[in-house]
Amino acid sequence: MIYIIDHQDSFTWNVVHQFSQFDKVYCSNYFEINKSLLNKSNTIVLSPGPGSPKDYPNTSKIYNKFKGRKKIIGICLGYQQILHCENAKIIQQRRIFHGYQSEVKVVSNKSIFRKNSKFKVGRYHSLKLQEPFTKENFDITMRCAKTNIAMAFENKRDDVYGFQFHPESFLTTNGKILIKKILQSKRS
Amino acid sequence: MKDHKSHKLKFNPYLEKLYQSDKPLIIYKVDNGYDIYTDFSKKINLTKNNIHRFLNSFEKMKYKKETDQYVGFFGYEILNYLLGIKISKQSKNSFYKGVFYKPETIIKIRDKISVFSNKKKQEFNNYFKPTKILSPFKLNIKYQKYKKIFDIFSKKIKQGETYQIKICTKYRNKSSINPINFFWRLMKSNASPESFMIRDKNYSIVSCSPETLLLKKGNKIITKPIAGTLRRSKKTNRSSALKFFRNNSKETKEHNMIVDMERSDLSRVCIPGTVKIDKEKYVEEYRHLYHYVTTISGSLLTGMTVKNIIKSMMPGGSVIGCPKVRTLELLNQQEKENRNIFTGSFGYIKFNKDMRFNIIIRSILNYKNTSEISAASGVVLDSAAKKEFNENFIKAKSLLELFK
Repeated sequence: MIYIIDHQDSFTWNVVHQFSQFDKVYCSNYFEINKSLLNKSNTIVLSPGPGSPKDYPNTSKIYNKFKGRKKIIGICLGYQQILHCENAKIIQQRRIFHGYQSEVKVVSNKSIFRKNSKFKVGRYHSLKLQEPFTKENFDITMRCAKTNIAMAFENKRDDVYGFQFHPESFLTTNGKILIKKILQSKRS
Repeated sequence: MKDHKSHKLKFNPYLEKLYQSDKPLIIYKVDNGYDIYTDFSKKINLTKNNIHRFLNSFEKMKYKKETDQYVGFFGYEILNYLLGIKISKQSKNSFYKGVFYKPETIIKIRDKISVFSNKKKQEFNNYFKPTKILSPFKLNIKYQKYKKIFDIFSKKIKQGETYQIKICTKYRNKSSINPINFFWRLMKSNASPESFMIRDKNYSIVSCSPETLLLKKGNKIITKPIAGTLRRSKKTNRSSALKFFRNNSKETKEHNMIVDMERSDLSRVCIPGTVKIDKEKYVEEYRHLYHYVTTISGSLLTGMTVKNIIKSMMPGGSVIGCPKVRTLELLNQQEKENRNIFTGSFGYIKFNKDMRFNIIIRSILNYKNTSEISAASGVVLDSAAKKEFNENFIKAKSLLELFK
């Protein structure tokens, strides 16, 4: 079962429907966590949402508790939330991307996706990861083809993944395949 | 405009009697004509205390005939209440939070006129309400004030608190209006697909809303969000408007956001995998402007109640901003006046739970000798305060013209 933690976003149910194609999904608000279902789930998804990771301390607690024990996937704010828990700085960017379709490129040969492949994705973010960012086992695997902003990370050892863009957006051309591959990937 | 003329409304003595009476009545535009609702046997003034009961009541009802439905509206405030969002410190006039009527007579104006009525005898009290304009229109907030709110919201966007937010401005004058006269004049000039009119004893609403929030038949549900407005002129046409929207990155981004938000609102009540974009990014043409529209549909999960659907879809996202909950909270902190009907929804709920609702925009609310016209436009990062402020005027223009 997949447990999706909703940060009261207006895109969360697109995420729910996307993940529902692969497994049973349970979704709740971040302030109404069903602990027993969360414990039973094998994957936790941290949804997009307004504000910044500092606004969601409970989600950080959940991440820290289950990191390495369950597959964890963060989308947009969820991606920033994970990085924030890994001591990264999440900062405002000069140009803001809301409703943008841009091209991302796989930049790492450690990625489960083929290096140098490119695809179109939908973006809704005011904040971004401050770089350089280095943390053991965390690889930045995708970047914006134009601006080079970090767009995805993978941590295969702990089974943690994150996308700054929105795989569930209608602007993302192959979001379903992305999610499928992430869900299939095994810890290494 | 054409269908209005072909019905020869002026020559129908029955309708004429109805219009010239004091009977409360409602007119709602449909695809190829108009539906008129009257002879109301029940009137429900929605409050925090009865809205849940009202919405739940549809789960037990049986639909037997055309008149088995409620028609009316939800105001902005009660929709916030349904979502558990507070509105504080607003100046209020005591207008209804929502009203629904049970009609005993429905008149369908198509190529011909058909009447469905549970009443054996129709009685009319002759009554004529003239339009009186007692003061010129005034805008409730000046540009400086608008700019101030605009700047606060721009900052919130940079901080990631909201991605898009709509600021409401109001035109107000002292007047009493003849809503029937206003409505048919408006239909001649600007018959938008979700137009409607309510005439009750102590208030009236005249609207040329263009936006369908939800259309539910059986387990099929459709929404048609609008995001993107272009002023119409002699030099523009539908295809040049489409070109403008496609090449304009601000309009495109704003629209994309609304499409993803409405997909998500539908997904909350629909079977996974059934939510589809039926028609993406097309142009609709109106008297003073063009709109950029997308049609999205889905198949409802079994067991979804009227309340589930209304809570998921209302208030309509395209007139609020995104993400909905946080943006509503921000709006309610900044807007000092009650939105009343504006960005609420008007429509019907049948006893078989089929529904149609619009978003109440482009509307005149006449209550206690005051007419109020609200308009809102969006703040996204690339928007310019002056342009958005002026866009509100274009949106209100066809209604303001009725007072000339």
